[in-house]
Amino acid sequence: MSRAARALLLALLLPSVPVWGQGVPSGPVAHAFLFGDVMYVAGGEAPEGFKLGQTVIHGNVLLSNRVAFFGEASLTGRDTGYAIEIERAIIRYDVNDGFKISAGRYHTPISYWNTAFHHGLWLQGSVARPEAIKFGSRFIPVHFVGAMAEGRIASSPLTYAAGIGNGRAANTARAGDVGDVNESRAFFATAALQPDALPGFRVGGGVYFDDVETEAGGGADERITSGHAVWERGSLDLVGEYIQVRHQAGGSSSPVTSRAVYLHAGVKLPGELRAFMPYARWERMDIGKEDALFTGSVADYEAVLAGLRYDFSPYAALKIEYRDEQLDGASGVGRLFVQASYAAPITSG
Amino acid sequence: MTEKRARGSGTLSGCALERIIRAARLAAVFLGVLAGMPDPASAQAEPTVIAVAIVVHPATQIDDLTFQELRAIFRGERQFWDDGRRVTLLMRAPEAAERGLVLDRIYGMDEAQFREYWIGKMFRAEVASGPKLVYSADMARELVTVIPGAITFVPVNEVSSETKVVRIDGRLPSEVGYPLR
Repeated sequence: MSRAARALLLALLLPSVPVWGQGVPSGPVAHAFLFGDVMYVAGGEAPEGFKLGQTVIHGNVLLSNRVAFFGEASLTGRDTGYAIEIERAIIRYDVNDGFKISAGRYHTPISYWNTAFHHGLWLQGSVARPEAIKFGSRFIPVHFVGAMAEGRIASSPLTYAAGIGNGRAANTARAGDVGDVNESRAFFATAALQPDALPGFRVGGGVYFDDVETEAGGGADERITSGHAVWERGSLDLVGEYIQVRHQAGGSSSPVTSRAVYLHAGVKLPGELRAFMPYARWERMDIGKEDALFTGSVADYEAVLAGLRYDFSPYAALKIEYRDEQLDGASGVGRLFVQASYAAPITSG
Repeated sequence: MTEKRARGSGTLSGCALERIIRAARLAAVFLGVLAGMPDPASAQAEPTVIAVAIVVHPATQIDDLTFQELRAIFRGERQFWDDGRRVTLLMRAPEAAERGLVLDRIYGMDEAQFREYWIGKMFRAEVASGPKLVYSADMARELVTVIPGAITFVPVNEVSSETKVVRIDGRLPSEVGYPLR
């Protein structure tokens, strides 16, 4: 285990910051959660058997009335040991509800799922993220290093976010953690509407622009547009999202467009069966012909899945999921997943 | 592969349509069968019918909130008062009857949904801190008077003369049409 991994584990074992107890806090207020999962996989070409998922520590620290820090680090099992990663590290100054400015490493807000569920699988309704936005995917830049402004427009149901940053790194699946690979910064803008009259309903979208360096050499103009609609109310979870990625290689006059879409539905059962939530999802990714970034590294994909989530504890869930996947037009492959996931509060108050 | 790519990113193939139809049928089974069933949140035992008063720190420059403003504050969507102070939400611990009423009327959630809602908000970095738990009406009344920006709720029969009660939609808890009873 690396020194960094040992340091993370030591930090986990240290006593957590005392928070409220029975009185008023006199210093920073801290909260932390540990997320993790263990899964059994059967079927398909990938190795079958038990698999330890990411172990994720997430912390929020309110440093003062207006300044907060948010951090998320993960430990991921590899054949050679565990890899540690700073997933998110954000320092934010809240001027008011309408204007909050921050800097750090984010999950790029260009996708709803990417910013709604992050790395804690206990929070999401399925065993894994949709393929287009899974961690390690190149379809969209999942992480973003830069600065962001966000807020709610006055008392309206409209929220916004806009940011500037490094965009993709030389490894286009990663963010530019140590600087931009070129002189062109990435920027994005998103907006969402959450009407008071429809609690749980949200519709929104965003745009993202960057000049990227392809791994084969050469540059390309990248434009991403996305839209989503969400209904999370009472027992029903409905999420639909569409993402379009357009690349235009330097010197080319014709852009190439790729698209991804998913529809996810889950219904919590009533009464005594309220701990059970059946769910289903359809997702599809179409990669454009001779895309400057994706050809050879991102394949067409389609999947239909159905599963059952059972919350057997207030902070732990068991999910059983069957997924039929089709990669690059090949025959469908069925796989069965059984996953136990948890969210463990390290501090409370 | 070439043929597949030439199909490109445009129309859906017949095979794809079949898969969509399969997915739609699957979803229809879940949604259709369950459509007539009650919402688990509302299937819970009804909370004891009481009224709760919304109470704020005495220095908070607010006397009246609309129900939508109250909902935005309790859901962590509004985190600052107009004078710039950060809102500190004090919530009664589970099992208190007034908590059940607030979850039902303001949040429209059950305990499990409420817990997941706040963990999700913290995990998404939308809030730096969730609601603070208080274990009695006395504790709620005491803390709301000493924490600038604090807001909480207490049973209407436990409101004391030192507490600052806020009107909701222009109505006090004793008035007809008050929404938290």
